[in-house]
Amino acid sequence: MPLLELKKVKKIYQQGKISVPALRGIDLTVEEGEFATIFGPSGSGKTTLLNMIGCLDTPTEGEIQLNRKRISELSKKDLAMTRRYNIGFIFQSYNLIPVLTAFENVEFAIRLIGNLSEKEIREKALKMLEEVGLKGKENRKPGELSGGEKQRVAIARALVKEPKIVLADEPTANLDSETAQDVIKNMVKMNEELGTTFIFSTHDPQIMEYARRFINLRDGLISSDKRGK
Amino acid sequence: MFSIRLGIKNLSRQKRRNIITILVIAFAFFGYLFLESLLNGMEEMSFDNIRDFETGDIQIAHPEYWPERKELPLDHLVEWNEIINDEIEKIKGVSGVSPELRFSANLNNGIDEMGVIGLGIIPENYNQVFKTQDYFSEGSLFALNENKAVIGERMAELMDLKMNDYIILLVRTREDTFNTIEVEIGGIVKTLNPIINSTIVLLPLHLVQQALNTENNVSMVSLKTNFGQEELAQQSIHEYFREEGLPLEAYSWRESAESVIALSTTKKSAIGIIMSVVLLIGMVGIINNIILSALERTSEIGMMKALGMKEWEIVFVFMVEAAGIGVMGGLAGCLLGFLGVNWLVNNGFYIEAWGDMTQYGIPILDRIYGVWNYYSFGYIFFLGVIVAILSSIFPAYWAAHKDPVEAIYQR
Repeated sequence: MPLLELKKVKKIYQQGKISVPALRGIDLTVEEGEFATIFGPSGSGKTTLLNMIGCLDTPTEGEIQLNRKRISELSKKDLAMTRRYNIGFIFQSYNLIPVLTAFENVEFAIRLIGNLSEKEIREKALKMLEEVGLKGKENRKPGELSGGEKQRVAIARALVKEPKIVLADEPTANLDSETAQDVIKNMVKMNEELGTTFIFSTHDPQIMEYARRFINLRDGLISSDKRGK
Repeated sequence: MFSIRLGIKNLSRQKRRNIITILVIAFAFFGYLFLESLLNGMEEMSFDNIRDFETGDIQIAHPEYWPERKELPLDHLVEWNEIINDEIEKIKGVSGVSPELRFSANLNNGIDEMGVIGLGIIPENYNQVFKTQDYFSEGSLFALNENKAVIGERMAELMDLKMNDYIILLVRTREDTFNTIEVEIGGIVKTLNPIINSTIVLLPLHLVQQALNTENNVSMVSLKTNFGQEELAQQSIHEYFREEGLPLEAYSWRESAESVIALSTTKKSAIGIIMSVVLLIGMVGIINNIILSALERTSEIGMMKALGMKEWEIVFVFMVEAAGIGVMGGLAGCLLGFLGVNWLVNNGFYIEAWGDMTQYGIPILDRIYGVWNYYSFGYIFFLGVIVAILSSIFPAYWAAHKDPVEAIYQR
């Protein structure tokens, strides 16, 4: 069974009396452990598709199944619960909480799961920060970290709760090319070590070469879906 | 709980705005505590003013005289004698007994005439119950056998009277015939009580009794009691009158102070309005603070929702922040309030520059003193914190209810 399945997913936004189709009927299947990139020009529907997969938005038409659960029909509360336990997010602008340290930002995500002891929470958060190469910087606040380090904290925050799938919306867009490669290598490493499924959107061809699946989106439709090495 | 920790840590963001909100709440709390102390001080001074210059703590009168007492009738008087006087003096808690004969009269200075209230007193007894003796601006209280009167400074001004001037009081006797009392002014007082200052003429009791043909009868007997023994004394006097079969009753000073009690009700309303304004200021400050914080943290709220936080969990974080601001504002306000009330209690608020306040019925000569009400500090603090928390719910819910996609991308 695939981890994620989208069948004829459409998303139409209403702008006054005008209907703007963002997705025109997406059929997509993603298996566990995949490391896939969604690419395409601006306005092709990459972010909308990631939002659908990430339970942040619901389709106008079609069906989405995540981990054998139909999420296209869930209530807001159930969508929140699905996000809490199954999905990790990495954002372009990191979205870390500035008053919390790197450790606390990671701890925040794991505490929402709520079934671990204090010791387990601490060990997991510290281990995850070590995995992304931030050992020794646990007590630094986001303002004291570089852009690459902030994004690594965001990766640790997304992964610490061991989600089924991690969604990254242009995670390297705010980083220089060297740091961007470093961050993407980190995501590859996490994918290989933990087997977590990664789907990320990007414009950057340099970063795309690390992906093993390439989903090209144009005008709200998948124009090509290729697998690499 | 992590949400509490996050809420508290969020207080370190936008320090300037939080400090301004805290100061606004603090000054509002200070204003409330200061004004409440001032109003309570004025009320206490008003009550003291009634007891110290008009009624004493207890008044003894005939039950049929009592409801008519404002008309100053000369029937249903008290047949007061030394035996009753001695027995009342012996009652536990009673520290002074002052028989008095009240009557209406027209004061004539040879040119003008004005209506006044005459009060026949025994000086020695009167001084045991009332504090008028401490407020003589000229002269002193007459001796029992002197044909002298004491008037208030305001009355002296109105009638253009000075010390040693002679006045004539035109009175109706008990038999409803006219009589006059001619006396020399032996003293002028400026008390804290506007009625004494403008309406009362104090005279020796025997002189009044002779002029009104009331024999040894008096209208009322005012009593002074030791602190906290008023009710006990009143009860004992009731029992004594019942045992002796005397047709007399003992009334608390409160029954003669309806106007001041009414002022007290007005004071409670004023305090209620002040408190509402204070809480409204706090509410507006908190709502403003939370809305601005929510607008600044829109993408962060979106991230929280993406992480799977429920709406009420996000609301809770904002509520903790609001509680923090409320607690800090409340503590700062109580500290400022403590300093302000302490100053008001010890130094008083100097108001002589505003003119003679007794003319307006405010029984204060130069300074208003505040009173401590520790209960108010706790009350306003906890109420303030609760209002701060409740005020944050709506804007916090507004923030938490945002669509996660719109919040993350700040659309």
